[in-house]
Amino acid sequence: MSTRSVQHTKKSAGSALVEICSVQIDKNWFGVPIGHILEIVGAVRPRPVPLAPGFVGGLVHYRGDVLTTVNLRQLLDLPPRPGVHDVLVLESGNGSFGLLVDAVGEVLKLSIADFEENPCTLNARRRALFAGSYKLKGRLLAMLDTERLDPLRLAAAQTV
Amino acid sequence: MDDLTREFLIESQEGLDRMERRLTELEMRPQDAGLLGDIFRSVHTIKGATGFLGFKRLEKLAHAGENLLGMLRDGKLQATPKVITGLLQLLDGLRSILKSIEGEGVEGEGEDQALIEQLEGLQAAEAAAGVVSSHGAMAAKAVASAAPPPAAPRPTTPPVVDLPSAGAPTAPPAAAAEVARVRSAVVGSAAESSLRVDVTLLNRMMNLVGELVLTRNQILQATANDPRMTMLSRRLDMVTADLRENVMKARMQPVSNIFSKMPRIVRDLTQVLGRRVRLQVEGQDTELDKSLLEAIKDPLTHAVRNALDHGIEPPEAREAAGKDPEGTLKLRASHEGSHVVIEVSDDGAGIAVDKVRGKAIERGLITAERAAQLSERELLQMIFLPGFSTAAAVTNVSGRGVGMDVVRTNVEKIGGKVEIDSRRGEGTTLRLRIPLTLAIVPALIVRTLGQSFALPQGSLSELVHISPAQAIEWIEGAPLYRLRGQLLPLVFLDRLLTPGGQHMDSTERGNFIAVLDADGRRFGLVVDGLEDPEEIVVKPLSAVLKGIGLYSGATVLGNAELALILDPGAIALKSGITLSACDEGDRAAEESGSVDLNTGAEYLLVEAAGRRAAVPLANVLRIEQLPLARIEYIGCRPVVNFEGQLLPVEDAGGAIEAAVGNSSARVIVVVCREAGRHVGIAVSQVLDVAAGGELLEAGTSQLAGGVTLLKKRVTGVVDLSGVPPLPADWNRMEEALA
Repeated sequence: MSTRSVQHTKKSAGSALVEICSVQIDKNWFGVPIGHILEIVGAVRPRPVPLAPGFVGGLVHYRGDVLTTVNLRQLLDLPPRPGVHDVLVLESGNGSFGLLVDAVGEVLKLSIADFEENPCTLNARRRALFAGSYKLKGRLLAMLDTERLDPLRLAAAQTV
Repeated sequence: MDDLTREFLIESQEGLDRMERRLTELEMRPQDAGLLGDIFRSVHTIKGATGFLGFKRLEKLAHAGENLLGMLRDGKLQATPKVITGLLQLLDGLRSILKSIEGEGVEGEGEDQALIEQLEGLQAAEAAAGVVSSHGAMAAKAVASAAPPPAAPRPTTPPVVDLPSAGAPTAPPAAAAEVARVRSAVVGSAAESSLRVDVTLLNRMMNLVGELVLTRNQILQATANDPRMTMLSRRLDMVTADLRENVMKARMQPVSNIFSKMPRIVRDLTQVLGRRVRLQVEGQDTELDKSLLEAIKDPLTHAVRNALDHGIEPPEAREAAGKDPEGTLKLRASHEGSHVVIEVSDDGAGIAVDKVRGKAIERGLITAERAAQLSERELLQMIFLPGFSTAAAVTNVSGRGVGMDVVRTNVEKIGGKVEIDSRRGEGTTLRLRIPLTLAIVPALIVRTLGQSFALPQGSLSELVHISPAQAIEWIEGAPLYRLRGQLLPLVFLDRLLTPGGQHMDSTERGNFIAVLDADGRRFGLVVDGLEDPEEIVVKPLSAVLKGIGLYSGATVLGNAELALILDPGAIALKSGITLSACDEGDRAAEESGSVDLNTGAEYLLVEAAGRRAAVPLANVLRIEQLPLARIEYIGCRPVVNFEGQLLPVEDAGGAIEAAVGNSSARVIVVVCREAGRHVGIAVSQVLDVAAGGELLEAGTSQLAGGVTLLKKRVTGVVDLSGVPPLPADWNRMEEALA
């Protein structure tokens, strides 16, 4: 776990601030490092793909390309939510993909000193999706591991 | 690799390509000083650059060639076939070194001494009145195969290769069009007006244009009802169409790029196989998208090899059959609508149909009983089946059983089609039908599960509407439809896409069957509804979705909706539709049947305001379903504007009239070709396609005109020529009406 926590922090300075975009899924808030986000597209209605793996939230049109989106609700075992979504366009080694969220919140400036790794009590499924969490005033913000959300990796993880 | 080396590689490869063409021409005109000068320059340029780039092996080989070419140019030597064979070997030698530099950055280990000695030997030997030199094993081998008797300094055999288009020793017209040719010494004047562009940039431009086409489609749909936007959107439409055409043009390359490789292949093969063949090339200027050109290179080479090996007989056999001992192989490229047709035809023995039959039975591709029923034309199609080869002996040229099916697979992969025609003793013609571009394809939009899907038109052969009353027949859970008496296996798209889901009973609703033909697999895809055909821009899918295996891509429709593009071949495979020659045969039988029986032409049976009428099917171009708002009027003549082209619509049946007042009504317009113009026939329903029967007038026994017997009912035939033409001057007509 320790190797993964480093990638979400700026390595240049020990106590530097990192910018984290907060996103809402159901009643919970999660964080995504802003450097991983190419663009945020609001209010889209993804086009479902019959026979696609369950985590695929459908297709969206993004700048001339057709993006495959990942349905975080399905991954977190939450009931599906019909209607429009916000999409975070994320970059991965295999091209970009979209992450469907209920809403995008504010951008937080957080100190990496407040970062902590996943607790050992977290269930395995979520441990695979989260990179760790930031301790905020009065609450915790779980960080999403964008690399693990890559559709190709999710597909590979499913077949294993 | 540094830029200098890369540039050197590109230039050298271009130079060698040109040299190859020139060498085959030189064989025709050994005295042509211009040709010799050109070949000399190609080699000289390579040698010049190797010096400061430090490619020693290349320099040495080029130097040996240059010496030989120098003597030829100065008239001290004759360009005999033997010399040309040597020069072609030099060419191959240079190429392989260049290839190794390109791949590994170094010249690679190799021994050119034998080749260099051979080239030197040629100089000495030819200078000394054509006595064969004993230098080097390769020389001896080359002489053995290249072959005029050693004593004859000039070739006595007629030239093997003939390029009619090769005129004066200037650049062929194609070269000027070829952007990449900029720097060659020959096309000096073209250099100022053209420049070299990276293919990736052109690809990016093509993508952007595709994007623009989508945006245009959306704007056209969104502004269709706003009169203020009409001019603007029309202008946008025109500019987009123009831009798209020009960007596509920039990607076009003349087929001469691959045709020019053929003389060499023909020359080499005729020597190996002991044939005498004249190559004729036509339509070299015909242009094709670069990616498509690359894709057909292998199939075409394969077809040429096949024609030489299986088609054209050895000279003795030809003479015995009373034919010119020299065979003719014709390569022809031409435009045909939105396709480029490439023909490879030979005047050889043709395909022995009985051999094909025997082989097909032997290989278990068909039963003997079935084979006995098939016509010659149907049997011919069997050669496209995998694992089929009629060659008695497996040669290293062809006959390994991976022949024609590979040609067909490769051509169909890019949306093309392959046809074959053969006459016993007269020759064989193979026709490759290639679409002009890949990036934008015409597609039919179908609806199922409340979603739109795109179905490429290329594999769509017809559409059938089945009303709830016309039951689909079932055999043990396999749905079938009786299409003109033949059983067509059906695939329900909704069942395919949601296995285990709840499906409406198909008998309770109206359905459409899209009859598809994918790689020889024929089946009907049942969908819930049809929408308009659209030109779609193919967008690739991510690897995860590609893995599903049913979709070949996605696209954005005119209404901004995303649609998945269905892959008919994959659907056929997934549904277990078998590849069968019988289907091909049935179609051929149908086609030939309609000619043989001469029961009259086929008709489209339509209904307008309750009355039935027949439209000759041969004249029908397409059937459009339009919202009533699309029908506009000039005076009282209904017309439809199709992307700037006006189509007069005949409403004798009253289909439009009946719909007026109902703003959501849709009108079906059968677009027909009639004597060089297009006319539309407004109908309320298209019922079927059927063969018409002749009707004779009682008493006189004369053929009754204007009527036909369709489905045992006397039906009037729509008189297309009776549709009055649109007036040449709108204003005058408006005035006249006012």
